[in-house]
Amino acid sequence: MAIRAVEVRKVYGAKGAQVEALRGISIEVAEGERVALLGKSGSGKSTLLNLLGGLDRPSSGQLSVGGRDLDQLSMREMARFRSTTVGMIFQSFNLIASRTAVENVELPMVFAGRSRRDRLAAARQALEAVGLGARLNHRSHEMSGGESQRVAVARALVNRPRVVLADEPTGNLDSHTARHVMDLILDHVREHAATLVLVTHDEELAATCTDRVVRLVDGQIIDGV
Amino acid sequence: MQWIDLLRLPLAALAQQKMRTCLTTLGVVFGAFVLAASLSINEGVQQTIERESSKGNIARKVTVSPRWRGNDNKTKDDVKVAGRMSPDRRERIRKILAERSRQGGSGQEHIALTRDRLDTLSRIPHVAQMVPIVGGAVVATLGNRPEEASVSSGAGEDPGFCKRIVAGRAFDSEDERSILLSEMFAHRIGLVDDVDLDQVIGKPLRVEIRRQVNGPSFNVSLVDRAKAGGGKDEDSALRQLAWQIPGALDRLSLTDEEIAALRKAIRQESTQSDPALVVDDFRVIGVFRELTDDEKKEAWSQFPAHTDLVLPRQTAVDLALRDPVWREDGIVQTVLFVDDMRNVKEVVDKVEALGLGTRSIVEMIERERLTYLLIFGGMTCVAGIALLVSALGIANTMLMSVLERRREIGIMKAVGATNWHLQAFFVIEGALIGLTGGSLGLLLAWSVSFPGDAWVHSMVHKDMKIYLSGSIFAFPNWIAATVLLFTVGATILAALYPARRAAMVDPVSALRHD
Repeated sequence: MAIRAVEVRKVYGAKGAQVEALRGISIEVAEGERVALLGKSGSGKSTLLNLLGGLDRPSSGQLSVGGRDLDQLSMREMARFRSTTVGMIFQSFNLIASRTAVENVELPMVFAGRSRRDRLAAARQALEAVGLGARLNHRSHEMSGGESQRVAVARALVNRPRVVLADEPTGNLDSHTARHVMDLILDHVREHAATLVLVTHDEELAATCTDRVVRLVDGQIIDGV
Repeated sequence: MQWIDLLRLPLAALAQQKMRTCLTTLGVVFGAFVLAASLSINEGVQQTIERESSKGNIARKVTVSPRWRGNDNKTKDDVKVAGRMSPDRRERIRKILAERSRQGGSGQEHIALTRDRLDTLSRIPHVAQMVPIVGGAVVATLGNRPEEASVSSGAGEDPGFCKRIVAGRAFDSEDERSILLSEMFAHRIGLVDDVDLDQVIGKPLRVEIRRQVNGPSFNVSLVDRAKAGGGKDEDSALRQLAWQIPGALDRLSLTDEEIAALRKAIRQESTQSDPALVVDDFRVIGVFRELTDDEKKEAWSQFPAHTDLVLPRQTAVDLALRDPVWREDGIVQTVLFVDDMRNVKEVVDKVEALGLGTRSIVEMIERERLTYLLIFGGMTCVAGIALLVSALGIANTMLMSVLERRREIGIMKAVGATNWHLQAFFVIEGALIGLTGGSLGLLLAWSVSFPGDAWVHSMVHKDMKIYLSGSIFAFPNWIAATVLLFTVGATILAALYPARRAAMVDPVSALRHD
């Protein structure tokens, strides 16, 4: 099983003003499966994605991703998990503006401890694979939204993660570019038998790109488990 | 993560904000400059003092002189104060009377530099050489012309003295029975021509030690001149006249009766005058010149500087100690040359334990040390404040940087950076600023030391007529190490809090931020 969540809860805020973002979610995703998390804003999709990506820890419940029990991992192991096991793609690209495309793609490999020569070659290859071989040394403000998102995709996939987590990756793109970016993600997932969790509002995108659609409402899964 | 990347990423971050990095570094440069200058001057001044002191072995020299030692046994309780008075006042008066009694009472003992004590001094550990100094007024007679003269012992301890010989030679040994004349003394006794100086070599010169070296005295007065108004030359001429009158009576235009009366008067005068206590003859072997202006400018001019006659050291001591009074009172002073400057203090303590007085350059250096310690302390405080201000500036700048780079920090965390990585980045940024600022501050201090040194040299020469050798700034390796250690340490400390803040950034909220 690539992902296994049991009764996962996430509560934000201090006592007395608490907000329960996830209310006992349980879900399983098989290796190589593509799952879409569908729901309105505030339904808990991104919160669940952040927990799966190891950016946050659940308030309670058990969470296992890529064969790792996340609640058992130390801070250092969690960082290692983020750089090697999962690849995250965000709606707003989240590129470091002061760094070039190749430097951004290189970053996860820096923290994974790969040699400079090795990671430069890998970063170039990843950028060429998403069609940005001519944009290696451009910074994000010198690129279009679609190009920036392709850099973000290259960065997320360069370490060949077993689980790809995409948080509305096409939300800021036109339909043509969105299709192209999704194709890149899906190609990788198919090629490496990776698991995909796609957060989206787009019913059609969810239906065409994933094997299963899981619907969330107010922090609870109502359909698709 | 590789170590080189721990350096590359902070460097890239610093390069990204060039102006801010430059301004932050400038504060560290100033602090490092003041610290480096302070340490350098402190070290350089110490070295300069030691260098100047070591010229002519002065740093190893301890001058020993006789001293009166008070009766320390008398305490203030032994002093009785009569009268009705308050206890406080009685105590005050008793204390002062006891102190005066100790200082000037009849129980004082004169610790003289007798032959026995000289032997004791020469046996003190670390004393490499003892040079007794004998000097005083004598009557010197060359041919039939007696002349008051000052005589000194020595010149053996000064190898440079040979340069001052203008005729004949210097001494071969400390106990030879020879004597050197000063050029000016020779001129005074009529050896005016150059050839006279050559001719005086080898001639005998009689030296007499008298209790009173005043010679025959006559009431000779020149019309309308006060004795005090004639100056040194007139006084000397009159004294010379007094010496020569007895032998020149026959050549004067006087009657036989007048001559007989005067001879009678002179005989009476002679019987009243003090006979010579010690008389000895020495062979003149050379003539020496006075110190040149350049030699006088040397900070620690050599002995003898102003004397008419010079006797070999041991010969002079033997001559002086033949006088019963000198034997009892001892010689005026002796100089001890210690084997190493570091042992001077120990020798001084041992000599003072014998009750003798001492004088050495080390004492002066100790006094001077307080002065430059105060200056050093002041400059170090300024440097410390400058570094503190720089550190606060760095802390503030880096804290701002953490806030500005919150999203970047979130992204780094999302792609695998640990808290340790992020703390290390900021600490290394601080260390790089400290290292660059410290290095530039050192470089600046070193650059400024050249014009600064030239200025100090010219000031010292102008005010004190001393040519300093070497620089008053010193930059040994430990100064560079200390300055860099301080600047890097201060900037690392300043970066610790911002680094901690960076590590505490929550990636979820940082990435949500837009």
